[in-house]
Amino acid sequence: MRRRGIPRLASVVVIAAVASLSYTAAAWSGPAASPFGVNATGTVQFWTRAATSGLGVALVKQFNATHPNLKVVLSETSPNQDTSKLATAIRAHAVPDLVGLNDIDVPQFSREGVLMDLTQYVDALPYKKYLSPGHLGLAQYNGKYYGVPYLGDLSVLWYNKKLFQQAGLDPNKPPATFAQILSDAKAIQKLGGGISGFAMAGNCQGCLGFVMEPSMFAVNDQLIRGPIGHQTIHIVGNKPLEQLLQLYRNLWVAKVDSPGSRTETGPTWGNDFEQGKVGILPGAYGFYPLMVKAGTIKDIGIAPLPGPTGKYSTFDGGDDFVIPAGAKNPSGAWEFVQWMMQKAQQVKYPSLGYTPVRTDVLTPAYRAKNPYNAVALQALAHGSAPVTLIYDAAFNEPNSPWFQMFTQAVYKGDITGAMETGQAGFERVLKEAGD
Amino acid sequence: MIEGEDVARVEEAIGPAVGEQERPVPPRPEEVPAPSGNALRRRAARIGAVLVSPACVLVGMFVVFPLGFAIYISLTDWPLIGPYHYIGLQNYSSLFSDPQFVHAVEFTFEYTGIVTPPIFLVGYGLAVLLRANRFGAKVFRTLFFLPFVVGLTIESFMFAIELQPGSGWVDWLLSKIGVASSTQAWTVSHDRALLMISVIVVWFAAGLTMLILTAGMQGIPRELYEAAEVDGASWWRKELRVTLPLLRRSIALSLIISVIGSFLAFNQFFILAQNNVSLETVVEWVYQTGFSEYHLGYATSMALFLVVVIGLVSMGQFLLLRDTTEV
Repeated sequence: MRRRGIPRLASVVVIAAVASLSYTAAAWSGPAASPFGVNATGTVQFWTRAATSGLGVALVKQFNATHPNLKVVLSETSPNQDTSKLATAIRAHAVPDLVGLNDIDVPQFSREGVLMDLTQYVDALPYKKYLSPGHLGLAQYNGKYYGVPYLGDLSVLWYNKKLFQQAGLDPNKPPATFAQILSDAKAIQKLGGGISGFAMAGNCQGCLGFVMEPSMFAVNDQLIRGPIGHQTIHIVGNKPLEQLLQLYRNLWVAKVDSPGSRTETGPTWGNDFEQGKVGILPGAYGFYPLMVKAGTIKDIGIAPLPGPTGKYSTFDGGDDFVIPAGAKNPSGAWEFVQWMMQKAQQVKYPSLGYTPVRTDVLTPAYRAKNPYNAVALQALAHGSAPVTLIYDAAFNEPNSPWFQMFTQAVYKGDITGAMETGQAGFERVLKEAGD
Repeated sequence: MIEGEDVARVEEAIGPAVGEQERPVPPRPEEVPAPSGNALRRRAARIGAVLVSPACVLVGMFVVFPLGFAIYISLTDWPLIGPYHYIGLQNYSSLFSDPQFVHAVEFTFEYTGIVTPPIFLVGYGLAVLLRANRFGAKVFRTLFFLPFVVGLTIESFMFAIELQPGSGWVDWLLSKIGVASSTQAWTVSHDRALLMISVIVVWFAAGLTMLILTAGMQGIPRELYEAAEVDGASWWRKELRVTLPLLRRSIALSLIISVIGSFLAFNQFFILAQNNVSLETVVEWVYQTGFSEYHLGYATSMALFLVVVIGLVSMGQFLLLRDTTEV
């Protein structure tokens, strides 16, 4: 009897031992793997442009305070070095986890396949349809998403309500067509005493593109058309563009531009308007904090940039979030991105000088709290930005084809010749880019 | 008892007694053979190599390797990102059929010719004024050198604001003395922009020239001037016959630095006149090609071309301005 009991007892002991070992092994293997972008741990190396770092600095601090297991480490890239720094990191296989990239630069990187494909995650976002169409369009390549909107840096039409009133114009009725811009500017110019009807950054090619192109977007027009790799230039014969150049030419001939308009390259753009000396200024929404600081905001009105005979749009400038291919913590990066796109964070953007990238945050309460930003955000839904590899070379660079066209049309009065010059210049740049 | 020859035989067999063992006698110094000259030289060479090796490593890392890699890049179609291909000397052969590059080279030479004489003359004049070490000379020397310390980039940004028509002090001042209108646009016309930029650069660089020449002037023996005065030489004759010949090296240094700086001009033109294509320098075109159009291989070939040109010009200056009276 005793001998049969021992094998039975031994079996029980062995089974118990195996069971406990299995349980221990399971316990030591750690928790089950989290879905992508959920409960991620570790650190996220986040690069942001110095030009737009204010938002990131403030919100990263808040994120880190509320996420003990995931820390975002923010680094700023120097002005004009963000793309070259990222390119260098890619070549060196030492990429950060997340980058806040100027949205017009995203296509260059998407095309080279150096960004993570986020299509499935973007498509799963319940608020995808409310995201800025311009930002999202720039993050899309060959039907896939390689980024999501991060922050909006939009163009708007500022006007001085006090000067409008003094000139006999309705301060609550900003110009909504090209004809109204010209007539209102002329009326304000007549006030004299150093007051100008209109101001522009007339020697800043990037600034001019930023505030002029929305007038074409408003009527669904683009200078560069088609998908990357098969793009064409539409300048000669472009009626909205011709009307736009004619408007600026008329303003110049009527001498309603402020004295600094011809030479303004950007550093002091909007200063004369902030001082109350200019009636109408197409500019950046980012001027808002400066006008608040100057104490002149109570006299300032804001409107979207109009098309030739109505409608409106904006330049969907700003940054997109992108995750470089080969990032060490893409899950952590995506968790941070989703947190940033929550409404609770988006409504904080105006106080930091930026516009949210979700139009569904535009509620009556938001409009009441942020009356100026609400105008910009409303325009966001109608906004656009050229999706092309040649934006910098065609628009932003010194003496770009865009600026040569503007100069010839506005300062020399040869609009037809200017458009031919522009057509040739844009086509040359497109060819050099290999498109 | 062992005696005589037996002692000798025993000693031969077993060596001398303990007390009598010979101690080694060190040779007299004149008997030690001196190391040969070659051995000394080799030893000195080894020590020298060890001492300069850290500097060689640094120069290798930060000068030689980057230069070699740059030469390699210039032989490819290196883009911002993506694959690149070896294309040989194609970038170099394209240089002189690139009208913008040719124009940039011509303008850079023109600009160098415009600013170099005033920088030297103003610097020389300031050095003459301050070499006597009169009361306040040190303060003025500091003030004249301050623009160089502040830097051309900051000063260009300052003038970008102060040259604004209608709001900057330049137009305000010039309109008060009747030289220009209060809304004069300085930076959009070729001639006016070049004039203003040249004035700013002379203001910036003359202080350095002053400093170099002042140091050289202080090394000229006072007795030479006294001897010239005894001979009845005028101030101008003393400058021509005493100061300038003995200042040859300092003049050469200041001119070479000035010319190199002018060939590398970028900041002032980029900040003040970036849309004025007629005022585009070589470095500006290199920047645009490399960092706007992302043709890094082509941009590198232009940069290396500039390095060679600067080297040749500097060599020419050295030859022309060398001190031929040295033995």
